[in-house]
Amino acid sequence: MIDVVAWAVSIRIEAFKHRVVVDPKYADKTWKILEHAIHEIYNHNASGLSFEELYRNAYNMVLHKFGEKLYNGLVDTMTSHLREICKSIEAAQGDSFLEELNRKWNDHNKALQMIRDILMYMDRTYIPSTRKTPVHELGLNLWRDNIIHSSKIHIRLQNTLLELVHRERTGEVIDRGLMRNIVKMLMDLGCSVYQEDFEKPFLEVSAEFYRGESQKFIECCDCGDYLKKAEKRLNEEIERVTHYLDSKSEVKITNVVEKEMIANHMLRLVHMENSGLVNMLLDDKYEDLGRMYNLFRRVPNGLSTIREVMTSHLRETGKQLVTDAERLKDPVEFVQRLLDEKDKYDSIITNAFNNDKTFQNALNSSFEYFINLNARSPEFISLFVDDKLRKGLKGVSEEDVEVILDKVMMLFRYLQEKDVFEKYYKQHLAKRLLSGKTVSDDAERSLIVKLKTECGYQFTSKLEGMFTDMKTSQDTMHGFYASHLELGDARTLVVQVLTTGSWPTQPGVTCNLPAEMSALCEKFRSYYLGTHTGRRLSWQTNMGTADIKATFGKGGQKHELNVSTYQMCVLMLFNNAERLSYKEIEQATEIPAADLKRCLQSMACVKGKNVLRKEPMSKDIGEEDAFFVNDKFTSKFYKVKIGTVVAQKESEPEKQETRQRVEEDRKPQIEAAIVRIMKSRRVLDHNNIITEVTKQLQSRFLANPTEIKKRIESLIERDFLERDSVDRKLYRYLA
Amino acid sequence: MPPRASKRKATASQNSTSVTSADDSPTDKTKTKKTDRLDILFDSYANCSSGIIDPEGIEALCSDINVEHTDVRILMFAWKLKAQRQGYFTRDEWRCGMKALKVDSLSKLKKGLPELEKEVNTPGNFQDFYSYAFRYCLTEEKQKTVDIESVCELLNLVLGSQFQCKVDLLIEYLKIQSDYKAINLDQWMGFLRFCKEISFPDLENYDADLAWPLILDNFVDWMKEKRS
Repeated sequence: MIDVVAWAVSIRIEAFKHRVVVDPKYADKTWKILEHAIHEIYNHNASGLSFEELYRNAYNMVLHKFGEKLYNGLVDTMTSHLREICKSIEAAQGDSFLEELNRKWNDHNKALQMIRDILMYMDRTYIPSTRKTPVHELGLNLWRDNIIHSSKIHIRLQNTLLELVHRERTGEVIDRGLMRNIVKMLMDLGCSVYQEDFEKPFLEVSAEFYRGESQKFIECCDCGDYLKKAEKRLNEEIERVTHYLDSKSEVKITNVVEKEMIANHMLRLVHMENSGLVNMLLDDKYEDLGRMYNLFRRVPNGLSTIREVMTSHLRETGKQLVTDAERLKDPVEFVQRLLDEKDKYDSIITNAFNNDKTFQNALNSSFEYFINLNARSPEFISLFVDDKLRKGLKGVSEEDVEVILDKVMMLFRYLQEKDVFEKYYKQHLAKRLLSGKTVSDDAERSLIVKLKTECGYQFTSKLEGMFTDMKTSQDTMHGFYASHLELGDARTLVVQVLTTGSWPTQPGVTCNLPAEMSALCEKFRSYYLGTHTGRRLSWQTNMGTADIKATFGKGGQKHELNVSTYQMCVLMLFNNAERLSYKEIEQATEIPAADLKRCLQSMACVKGKNVLRKEPMSKDIGEEDAFFVNDKFTSKFYKVKIGTVVAQKESEPEKQETRQRVEEDRKPQIEAAIVRIMKSRRVLDHNNIITEVTKQLQSRFLANPTEIKKRIESLIERDFLERDSVDRKLYRYLA
Repeated sequence: MPPRASKRKATASQNSTSVTSADDSPTDKTKTKKTDRLDILFDSYANCSSGIIDPEGIEALCSDINVEHTDVRILMFAWKLKAQRQGYFTRDEWRCGMKALKVDSLSKLKKGLPELEKEVNTPGNFQDFYSYAFRYCLTEEKQKTVDIESVCELLNLVLGSQFQCKVDLLIEYLKIQSDYKAINLDQWMGFLRFCKEISFPDLENYDADLAWPLILDNFVDWMKEKRS
């Protein structure tokens, strides 16, 4: 047996040495030798051949201009052998068909190699100059034409291969090695052979297969299971390719699976009742969601479909949340629920949606949409913060405090009417500061810093002023007592001096303070004005608190009552009278009627706080009612808190008032924006002004185009702007 | 209203015009003569102490030429005179205006009124007249707006003949709306433009995105609601 490797090493092209004229008979004879050799090679009898001799024969033929004869002879001989081979392959039955084909292919390749080596001189000289097909390629082409494309083998081969793939898909084990060899054969025969004879039909058949399978699954599986199956099939196909197909086929077959199993059923899957996307979201099914994300991202519009459904679900849920009357009763609960919802979706996007930014954006825009559906959102968020800063953050570590405040800021960013939030925040902060009821000064300041970073210095300058006032007041009190040593150690009066511009505006009301107090107050007033000339002080009696010691009945219960200033004024009256009518109280205290009624109600009609007794015992305060000290008042605590200074959800009329004030505050802001813009642009058309103004004010509130128009007309009337005389769309700035 | 006793007085003794000197050229003479006549006429209506024609004088003038003092032509006359103050004509205004009208007697004035009307109604002048009509109503210093009632009357007076239907609807709206209690010049000018440019009653070509005064946006909304 001739060692093929040894041949490859020893081949050398011999230079043309001498001219020998040979007669035609010589050509025939030589050819006969070579023809015989080819036969022997094909019959596995190559061992008896001499490479040297055969090579020289072929060489001589080409040299003596018999290349054509040699070439044609080669073609004929090979063809006839291939025809024989074809018959034997055709004869193979069942599974042995492929094996036979494979075997014969290997043989052919080996033979081809030897033949090529023998005919190498022709390959390198005659063939290039005549542009004929080189030997190796010729061998492949002949194989293709005579075997693969023979009428009996062609279709049978294709069907066999596809049959095997199908069997494997239905769970059978097949001979992958054999498959790989056959497929490689097709690839070697040329790209178009592989594609036409195998790949194309393979893809068609696969499409049909998956079409059927997906239809079957979708009828009987729920969404999660279906997706599992789809994923499994996809992975199978990828694996198939690595094992026995051309790697270029991977993307083509995966496209088929994606189209048939996913793209065609996308909407049905997403909207599947009880198991679709919405259900997965509700139940936090991270694994299923992640699978859906990974599968859908492979098909066009896959991710956008998921995103759209998620968005509309979120908006719907959110809308219900903010309009649910039950929830609106408790603002803190309301906000907590919003935070929980945000946390839930943040988790989903992190764990299942690969932190996809487009999903984050969809989440943000949905929140922005529904939070602003409820006009009370700014107020409620402020109340939530108030609750946290009063008691919710008690005992919470510094880092956790920051986390909660950051979450609040996140909700704040969604608000369109940030100026409304500011108003409420100011009110609530004022109450907290004045009642001394804040859990942590650091937390308060931290939040202010966050607001400043978000909205700029102007937003928080007044708030900071409030803190400053508190500190200054402390110093003032020190100074006051230091210069009034006759008052002794008892610090009965504590005054907080508030700068008018910084604190939420309160209507100035006074009432008649009890004698015990008024003298002291006067002392303070003259002290303060003595050190701060040019200022005016007005007592805000509706905002103060008092601690009074009370003895009920003769030598009875002693309690310390924490009350509002108004309540104190009323109670002190009873030191000099057993019984007082409503009218008498009103006259003596000069407290405004609505406040007085509320005040009396809180002391006479509330269980556990009824330090006063009222006749008649009705719930409402009537003008004819009479009041007595309730000698039978009891409480298990020594200190009893009666005053209510806690921030409450506003009543309807209060809400209207606040809203009106906000609207009024917006007018100058809009005008300032208009003037600013017109000053720099000089001339601008209507629509652009609206756009620019809205953009400038967007960080505080959403400006209403009609309101902007009104302000423009007001500015025209006041000669800040004028209309252009020619183009009616334009406005002109008047310097 | 009973005809007022004419305030025309005997002229001779009141002749206070510029004295003619021998050196005067013929044209100067005719001019001075004319001015004399105008002055005489002026004086016959002017208030003695103030030296200007006051509302009473105007009323007298009106009755003498047989035109109601609320007639739009009187307003046009005031426009021609460029009268600054409603209800009053100064000597200069009188002189310039009458000269511009090329009249120097009451009868000529009366005859010249149709001419004046035509002149006012030319597109070039009408806008000016229309704007004048509004400003004429700003009697107080620094006043920028005119109350709704007066505006409605003025609209009717000034635009009624040309745009009766539109004006009627506009007036109806102005009376029932409550957003504005007075109208400013910008809105007033808007009314004219509106009547001229917008098709009625469909209001098809009204584009709310253009910078129409808000009151007209509201009017259009009201009209549309009315029709549906």
